[in-house]
Amino acid sequence: MENTINFGIDLGTTNSAIAKFVKGEVIVFNNPLDYGRATLPSVVCYQKDKIIVGSQAKVMFGKQKKDAFTQAFFKRKMGTSESFPIKSQNRSVTPIELSAQVLKELKTFVNTGDNLESVVITIPASFDLIQSNATKEAGYQAGFKQVVLLQEPIAASLAYANMKKSKELTDGQWLVYDFGGGTFDVALIKIKDGEMKVIDHEGNNFLGGADIDQMIVDKLVIPKINAQFSFENLEDEMKSASGKYNSKYYVLLSRAEEAKIRLSAVKSAEIVVDGFEDEEGNEVDFEITITRSEFNELIKSSVDGTIEMIKTILTRNSLGSKDIQFTLMVGGSTYIPYVRQRVEEILQIPANCEIDPTTAVAVGAAYYAATKQKEISKTDKQQKKTALSIKASYNKASKEKDELFAARVTGDTEGLFYKIVRQDGGFDSGLKKLSERISEDLPLVENAYNFFTLTVYDSLNNVVETDIEPIGINSGFGISGQPLPEDICLEVDDYDNPGETRLALIFQRNTILPTKRTLTFPINKTIVKGSEENDIRINILQGSHLALPEANKSIGFIGITGKNLKRDISKGSDIEITISLSESQDLTVAAYLNMADQEFKETFNPKERHTPVEMLKEQVEDLSEKLDEEIEQATEKEDYETASALSKLKREMDVVAEETESLTSDDVTDKRYQLEDKKRKIAQEIDSATKHKRIQKVKEHYFETKAECLKHLDDSGNDHERKTYNDIVSQEEAFMSTNSPIKIQEKSDELQSIIGQIRWRTPDFLTGIFNWLKGEQPKMNDQTQAKSLIDAGKFAVESQNWDRLREINFGLLDLLPRGAKEQITTKIGFGL
Amino acid sequence: MNEQIKVPKIYIDLLDQVFEIEKKVENLTESNSISRNITRLKEIFEQLEADGGLVYHNPIGEPYNETRTDIEASIAGNSADNLIITEVIKPIVRYRKGGITLIARKGIVVAESKS
Repeated sequence: MENTINFGIDLGTTNSAIAKFVKGEVIVFNNPLDYGRATLPSVVCYQKDKIIVGSQAKVMFGKQKKDAFTQAFFKRKMGTSESFPIKSQNRSVTPIELSAQVLKELKTFVNTGDNLESVVITIPASFDLIQSNATKEAGYQAGFKQVVLLQEPIAASLAYANMKKSKELTDGQWLVYDFGGGTFDVALIKIKDGEMKVIDHEGNNFLGGADIDQMIVDKLVIPKINAQFSFENLEDEMKSASGKYNSKYYVLLSRAEEAKIRLSAVKSAEIVVDGFEDEEGNEVDFEITITRSEFNELIKSSVDGTIEMIKTILTRNSLGSKDIQFTLMVGGSTYIPYVRQRVEEILQIPANCEIDPTTAVAVGAAYYAATKQKEISKTDKQQKKTALSIKASYNKASKEKDELFAARVTGDTEGLFYKIVRQDGGFDSGLKKLSERISEDLPLVENAYNFFTLTVYDSLNNVVETDIEPIGINSGFGISGQPLPEDICLEVDDYDNPGETRLALIFQRNTILPTKRTLTFPINKTIVKGSEENDIRINILQGSHLALPEANKSIGFIGITGKNLKRDISKGSDIEITISLSESQDLTVAAYLNMADQEFKETFNPKERHTPVEMLKEQVEDLSEKLDEEIEQATEKEDYETASALSKLKREMDVVAEETESLTSDDVTDKRYQLEDKKRKIAQEIDSATKHKRIQKVKEHYFETKAECLKHLDDSGNDHERKTYNDIVSQEEAFMSTNSPIKIQEKSDELQSIIGQIRWRTPDFLTGIFNWLKGEQPKMNDQTQAKSLIDAGKFAVESQNWDRLREINFGLLDLLPRGAKEQITTKIGFGL
Repeated sequence: MNEQIKVPKIYIDLLDQVFEIEKKVENLTESNSISRNITRLKEIFEQLEADGGLVYHNPIGEPYNETRTDIEASIAGNSADNLIITEVIKPIVRYRKGGITLIARKGIVVAESKS
């Protein structure tokens, strides 16, 4: 149990944040419902049955909603007797209560499992005793038992001092310039004998980043729209809530904010104005470029206003620029380069931008908290555990946009609240009163599993344990979808084996239908418009993707020749093939040729077959050749059993070949289908007769590679390579038992690449390659470069600088002319 | 506890542009097939990883209320009852992996009361 407070909270006018000191470092907790942000807008919205705090409440601020009441900027009213009436609930809330809500919400950021009882909360330097006490009270109302206050400028200075660990802050004074989202504050800090003190301060409660966004729209964007289009009173129509273009105003504000942020990094930014018409019916659609200098000019007077306040402080304390060490920049608006620059320029005091301006105050508070002792007696901590049982009922699968969730709660619900949050962060019910029965419409993300968590809180936002499990609802998933009985594959040219084709897996067996996939391949031959010389074949097959293409059943085929084309298409241009299977297994194939912007689409019904005679002839021919080869090889190896089985197949094949040859390309009978079936059967038999041989071969190759790899590893492998090797070997049993030549080959290739890696490190190999490359020099493209590389290489060999030699080898390899392109298959038109 | 996902900003920026182009193309009658390229772009993002990727969702016309934490809204007009999303400045970007989705970036919208 830690004895120090460790938690610090920046309870800001516009935004708040919470941080924790952990072992010398401070972590700022992220807002669980606002990605990438660590801050919580200090806005509270009371509705009939719930309380919302943060971004979603901010949206409602200044708007009228039935039975709802939203309040922001209540920090300005801290310590006054003012209260805000909630008409619909016939009561009013004080700034203290509102602040307590924000503090409670911040507790939900803490994901470290800590029970928050002691905390440091920051206050502006301008807060008097009453305001400070009000802040303390808010802390107690939020359930903290010990609240320590810290002034914001001091907190920011502490964040800076702790960042500069090596450099202790020496005696002296500096300014903290805090320009945030909605307020501006400046304070003069003095450190003497290790004691930090706020000497003086000034501020403007109505100046911040939001005001700058508004200035961009009002002073830059609207005039430019008016100059180009005709509007009678655009500004009013935009800014008045009942105005015609009010919604556009918010669009522009959002774009202005984005442009403002961009302008911190680049010299100019664009704001797009579009989506409406002027009064004469002209469409407004144009871009406004805002340069950094325009922007700087725009904010100049506001920035100068802040500088005036600093000057007042300096004069009041009879100080000159030289007496100030630096100006510490805090608050989101100090990201603007002009702000930093202008402040520095006019005051002649260096601007210090080393800390994260948005979280500095919370960070500083946490550092301070780490030095403060907890003062809570143990007895206070005993809490009554509420035994709550929640029985939930809801549909676990739904095709609706939302699903009704109902639950019955047993146990004492008095004074308790609940909240339901969707796990992706897209839904938050807000804090609602817990009662015996709860019901809630839960919005679902389509086609996904939606998980929700229901959490019960007590009045101080401490989590109350219940027995409810996470709520899981499956949206839209076709529970009825049937699985695919066999693999669906696409025939592609096999670039590893010239002359052959192979199968690329598109949908694996047991994929749930309907399904769809798009693949893109570069085409490997040029097809001239009008010519029939070359073609592209899209052949979809059903059956194991590990088998020979001839052994599978063709279920869809599209052939594209020059006759179908609007223009020539070149080698290297893309073909995009989209294959979809409906629930009833209707196959739709669409091939799109990028270069010609042409699509070929066909739907194949599994009951009909598409077997072009030409393709059949070719396949039969290929298969006969393959058969001859196999017979020859089997005979050579004196494997007479296989040879005789194959010879028998060969005889059958000859018959098929003869019959196929006699078919005309427009044959209308069923003959071609019968022949195709026969061919497929023969192919399957060849496959099984020779599979054993192929597997034997790849297995042998695998074990050879493995032995070689191990040798290299023993000689000069590193840990990473050893791990990769062990991973492969540990899977050996699994991939060997698949009896798939492709799978086993893959593993051999992986081992091979480890060997490659090691060899490229060994001096012998590197010198060997280098010597060979030296001999190849006359062939190289750039003789001057080749010569200088070779000279450098010789030196590297002498000085045994192997890393350098490796680089040189790569450089020299690049200079070699590309050899005659390796022979590749172009039967299909694309491949892998 | 909600899970959070940090997606490289460049992906989000690119998706925002795809979304903008898609919006513009909708109003266009063209003989070319720009929408095909848009669909392809979207598919590339959907398949960023072997079993996951990014998708965006345009919430235009959907009802808005304060429980929707997948959206950052500005409300146009005075009333905040019966809100409908009338302008989408940035779409909601979701990261999808298997059947699970997470919000990678909130949508930025303007909502207006329909009453």
